[in-house]
Amino acid sequence: MDDGTASRGEVLLSVDGLTKSYGAVRALKGVSVEVRRGSVHAVVGENGAGKSTLIKIVSGAESADAGRISFDGAPVAMASTNAAMGLGIATVYQEPQLFADLTVAENIFVGREIVRGGRIDWRAQSERVRTLLADLGLPERYADRQVGDLSVAAQQQVSIAKAMAGEARLLILDEPSAILTDNEIDILFALVRRLVARGVAVIYISHRLDELFRVTDTVTVMRDGDIVGTYPTDDLSVREIAEMMVGHELANDRPDRDAPDGEPLLSLRGLGRGDLFHDIDVDVAAGEIVALYGLVGSGVDEIAKTLYGVERPTAGTIAVAGRPVDVRNPRAAQRSRLAMLPSDRKHQGVFAFQSIAFNITTGHAHRFRRFGFLMDRARENTVAKDLMAKLAVKAPGPRTPLNALSGGNQQKVVLARQLVERPDVLVLEEPTQGVDVGAKEEIHRLVTELAEQGTAILVVTADLPEALRIADRLVVVRQGTTTVEFGPTARQADVLAAAAGDTGSEDAA
Amino acid sequence: MTTTAPAPARSTMPLLSGRVTGQELVLLGVITLLWLALGVSTDTFIQAGTLSNLAYNVAPIALVGIGMTVVIVCGGIDVSVGSAVTVVTVIVAKLVRDQGVSLPVAVVVAVGVGALLGLVNGVLISVGRVHAIIITFGTLNVFRFVALRIFDSEQVAGVPGTLAVLGGGQTGETLHVPHAFVVMLLLAGAMWWYMRNTAGGRHLYAMGGDRLAARLAGVKVQRREVLAYVLTGVLVGLASCVVIGGGGLIGQNVGVGLELQVIAAVVIGGTSIMGGRGTVLGTVLGALLVGTVASGVTILHWPSQLTSLFVGVFILVAVGTDVVRERSRRRA
Repeated sequence: MDDGTASRGEVLLSVDGLTKSYGAVRALKGVSVEVRRGSVHAVVGENGAGKSTLIKIVSGAESADAGRISFDGAPVAMASTNAAMGLGIATVYQEPQLFADLTVAENIFVGREIVRGGRIDWRAQSERVRTLLADLGLPERYADRQVGDLSVAAQQQVSIAKAMAGEARLLILDEPSAILTDNEIDILFALVRRLVARGVAVIYISHRLDELFRVTDTVTVMRDGDIVGTYPTDDLSVREIAEMMVGHELANDRPDRDAPDGEPLLSLRGLGRGDLFHDIDVDVAAGEIVALYGLVGSGVDEIAKTLYGVERPTAGTIAVAGRPVDVRNPRAAQRSRLAMLPSDRKHQGVFAFQSIAFNITTGHAHRFRRFGFLMDRARENTVAKDLMAKLAVKAPGPRTPLNALSGGNQQKVVLARQLVERPDVLVLEEPTQGVDVGAKEEIHRLVTELAEQGTAILVVTADLPEALRIADRLVVVRQGTTTVEFGPTARQADVLAAAAGDTGSEDAA
Repeated sequence: MTTTAPAPARSTMPLLSGRVTGQELVLLGVITLLWLALGVSTDTFIQAGTLSNLAYNVAPIALVGIGMTVVIVCGGIDVSVGSAVTVVTVIVAKLVRDQGVSLPVAVVVAVGVGALLGLVNGVLISVGRVHAIIITFGTLNVFRFVALRIFDSEQVAGVPGTLAVLGGGQTGETLHVPHAFVVMLLLAGAMWWYMRNTAGGRHLYAMGGDRLAARLAGVKVQRREVLAYVLTGVLVGLASCVVIGGGGLIGQNVGVGLELQVIAAVVIGGTSIMGGRGTVLGTVLGALLVGTVASGVTILHWPSQLTSLFVGVFILVAVGTDVVRERSRRRA
């Protein structure tokens, strides 16, 4: 499309007309972009915009349905990650893929050890790694330390060093800053700048738009599998990037309802845990739906875990109906009439091999007891059937095992569990993640219905349209703390800009 | 031991740095203390007879432990080794008694049968992609059945002393040092060196640390895995020879429970049961510690069940150390 790229060298990677479909979903619809030598090229877009698909194709992890890729002027077939690495394209993923019990030097050389006379030449390896580390401005003393003993940030530096040991000419950093603290991000950026000074090209994926201005020179914005445009970073503002990512505002099909304004039923005051988040202040009134919205790495998911009692807060209070509660474990949360719907269904939500009825009544056993200990199977079935009908769960019957259902229907069952006894407070984490559109609407309708019956609902989500659609208020979490608040009529671009670090939009509420 | 240039305050050999040696040094210290204490408090411990008996008893456990260390480091486990010893022992004992085969033939057959049993485990685990503990728990029972069929409801009595040179008697010793113990030390030394210094050895650690990442780094994961079980089988064969050399009567319970002693030695030796970390040196020291405790309890005329208590405490302390270490890492 439009190409005003700041030219800082010749084109290293050029992709042209790339398309890719997964089933009926068109993830890429003819994407063309050029990455130049010595450039830090940001690729931004909302979840599902196609950036990870593009990266997977460039790094050889997936192949495109159509389109051309050329590297260093020559057309290339990116058949595998090994082929890509052979060309000098290396990818550093968000979570370091290293061996914790091997040293840094060993990690860098694993699979291509320097062998002399049948044994590894430790000295040569160590020397080479020291040179490499020094070259990248990293501490040489890392070389002989076990990776598991290093901090996450240092492990990431090691991942980058490992990529560079293979003489990478194009380095793809996939959300490198999401797991780092501010200080560690500075170190990362310094490293990126040194690489670029040596002529390496870097593709930088990030959700934190404010960062782009500190380290990138070119920005490509993606939306719905297309490229919106490629621009010199300095020509844009956070606000403009956010606008492009979101595109034209969709009509907000928010169900019409009046936001209640009573005494807070759930009240978080100065809540914090370690250095993950701090000073979280949120109130939710009876019948109100509040969304906590933050980007990956903002700490918003950690807040949910704390509310569930999976992890304990280190500061602040959680109060239900004005009384402070100690959510020391999930059971304690339940006793305070605080219910929750975790995002990780597999690990925190469902018993996959058990029946729908079992999954619905788990945790409510006292309501289905006869003679104090026998489960009343008939009543269990009746309640399960009622709720299944109410939630439009598509399944043969209440005794169908849960793993026979689709993701959306499983999610409805987990939600049904919360409806057996209406909780005072319901915390939902990414309630519609991985759920099809129909089920999504169903779930939104139910959440709204629950609120109308008087439950205070807190939705923790990274899905902005969803947050705006169901919430009466939206609180933005950025860098581990609550910042701005928006009403239901806020524009997506404004919220995104605020979450991504545009401090200038503080008055946008 | 270091063949590299001795640079002050930094080692270029990974396993000489950091806490791994720490665990081995601690074990060495504990064993030394026990020996001193037993030597001072009893007249009989520091005697050639007692010590050579201790060394002979430790040998088969440590021999199988070498293989078990490799298997556990690369992310597996083999609980069938006890039954495998039963199978090899009865086959070789009967051959020696009924066919009168010579020492070299007996050893070759023992190693061959052991390797075959190991191959069965390795292939089932590698192809079946079921957790090793389940597969080897299955083969434990199958091997046991096979062994009992070969025993044919009798003990193998009157086995001639063909293998006595590896046994616990006078012929099995030189200067009061059991040959079995020397063989074990040589093999352990070789394996220790291999695991530390060769690419193939380091790949075992990579596999145990992150199997997928190891495969992506070009490690032939499946092949190495199968080889680890075959190696364990070979060592089971040697251990069986040591057992047969020990006496003329082979009972049907030979080898029963050996897997637990071996795994105890490996775990006490500092190998992480989750894979990715551990050394053969640690395992040998672990086996020595267990052997010393058993010997000490006997000499002090303490109730023999105390041995179980001590071994249990050692395992919990070793695993506890591992857990604390992992937690502190995650906090870093």
